[in-house]
Amino acid sequence: MTPGFLCAIRGPVMLITLGVLLSIHNFGTVSFARTWPVLLIVFGIFKLMERSGTRMPQ
Amino acid sequence: MNRTSIVAPLLLIGVGVLFLARNLYPDLALIDYFARYWPVLLILWGVLRLAEVLFWAATDKGLPPSGISGMSGGEWILIFLLCMIGLSVHTIRGFETWWPHSGITMGGIDMFGESFEYPLAGEKAASKTPRVIIESFRGNARITGSDTTTVKVTGHKSIRSLEQSGADRANQDSPFEITGEGNELTIRTNQDHISGKQRITDDMEITVPKGATIEAHGRLGDFDVSDVTGNVEIVSDNAGVRLQNIGGEVKVDLRKSDIIRAVGVKGPVDLKGHGADVELQDIDGQVTIAGTYSGVIQFRNISKPLRFNGQQTDLNIERLPGQVRMALGDFTATNLVGPVRLNTRSRDVHISDFTNALEVSVERGDVELRPGKLPLARMDVHVNFGDVELKLPSAAKFDLTATTNRGETYTDFGAPLRSDNTGKGGGIRGSDGGPVITLQTERGKMSVLKATSDDKPFTPEVEAPPTAATPVKPLQKVEQ
Repeated sequence: MTPGFLCAIRGPVMLITLGVLLSIHNFGTVSFARTWPVLLIVFGIFKLMERSGTRMPQ
Repeated sequence: MNRTSIVAPLLLIGVGVLFLARNLYPDLALIDYFARYWPVLLILWGVLRLAEVLFWAATDKGLPPSGISGMSGGEWILIFLLCMIGLSVHTIRGFETWWPHSGITMGGIDMFGESFEYPLAGEKAASKTPRVIIESFRGNARITGSDTTTVKVTGHKSIRSLEQSGADRANQDSPFEITGEGNELTIRTNQDHISGKQRITDDMEITVPKGATIEAHGRLGDFDVSDVTGNVEIVSDNAGVRLQNIGGEVKVDLRKSDIIRAVGVKGPVDLKGHGADVELQDIDGQVTIAGTYSGVIQFRNISKPLRFNGQQTDLNIERLPGQVRMALGDFTATNLVGPVRLNTRSRDVHISDFTNALEVSVERGDVELRPGKLPLARMDVHVNFGDVELKLPSAAKFDLTATTNRGETYTDFGAPLRSDNTGKGGGIRGSDGGPVITLQTERGKMSVLKATSDDKPFTPEVEAPPTAATPVKPLQKVEQ
């Protein structure tokens, strides 16, 4: 789990999350207005993992 | 190793396929599909990029340098544009307003709100032929005429709210009422009195005097109207409409609908707006339809002129003792009283048993005609791209000119028809003094054949024919 790898998959994973949330919104289960914080959470998790990754000497 | 993403070419292919589909099936509701499923594109895009990154990592070709995300800035801009287009289409197509009325819920607790139910009832005396107005509301209504002189409403109200007290308050703030008297009654749900987070739906069973005239407005929900001798007018943002046994005039204007069905209407029928399926049967008045309908359109037994004015297809029929069915890229009709005029962009056309005169103009598609009865109708058929086939009874009298500018000709009719070929195209000509028949295709095969006993009239396959009795089903709840 190098920072480079995390960085590389961050974009796609965020995109998938966004797509899933908007799909759920379109099918009328839960509105995107309610689920958008999930994006922040996912982004935060990535940042955390990157931090713990950089502590190790590269 | 070349790191160019495969997403861009795939995107190109996808757009190409979409446009091709649109060209081949112009009536396909692609916009509707896009409005509904566009977030799936985001997911696919993400999955593809993720797969690429994993593939690079696995093949040890090295990762992109640290600090560079798996996606380029240009891609994010494209995604942003896609989101904007998707959201606006989704909103315009009227699926719902995208931004909630209540604003963004920061805590995210609201989604745990429950639905609270309250009974709904009202009754008011009316004249024998009252005008009943239903003010705009969310929910379903079933309106039935009967031998009474009262307007009676029963049903229930559903309120979505966080807690009982909020729902109770909303219930009190949106009292159900029937106002007016005698000749004009208004049914009001007062849903607009509630602002904020509660969402209200009223489902109503309404009994009205037989002679009533109905004027209903809705935002979301179905209307079932039966056994009313007055006029019926329905205006809604999104509704399924089922009408049965209506004595007066019918007017339906919808922004979106899954089905419009009318069976047994004495007066004229007038449809407007957007929708999917349309089914009209046993209509004694003139039928006028102007709108975009993407589903299966069926007409049966219409005793006055029918005027259909769609996005891709115009159709005029003087009288329809038989039936017409239009579905994806197909037009099938049998037993029409002319003059009949059909003008369509892209459909295969099959028509049998028609009288007086037939005028068909098709941009792309094959035309197959089987006039079963004699004397023949006058025919004028023009096709830009497609085959034309005419099957004539052997005793028919006609004055026929059939030409193709590019393609073969074929006839097995015998005298008086002769076929001649000139360069790339050809013609079939012959006359024994009957009505004028002109068939023309710019590019395609031209055949004039002798009808055999195997050639039956086209019978459009019928999907779920409307039955005489209204199916008794409980009112469905409108989704929150």
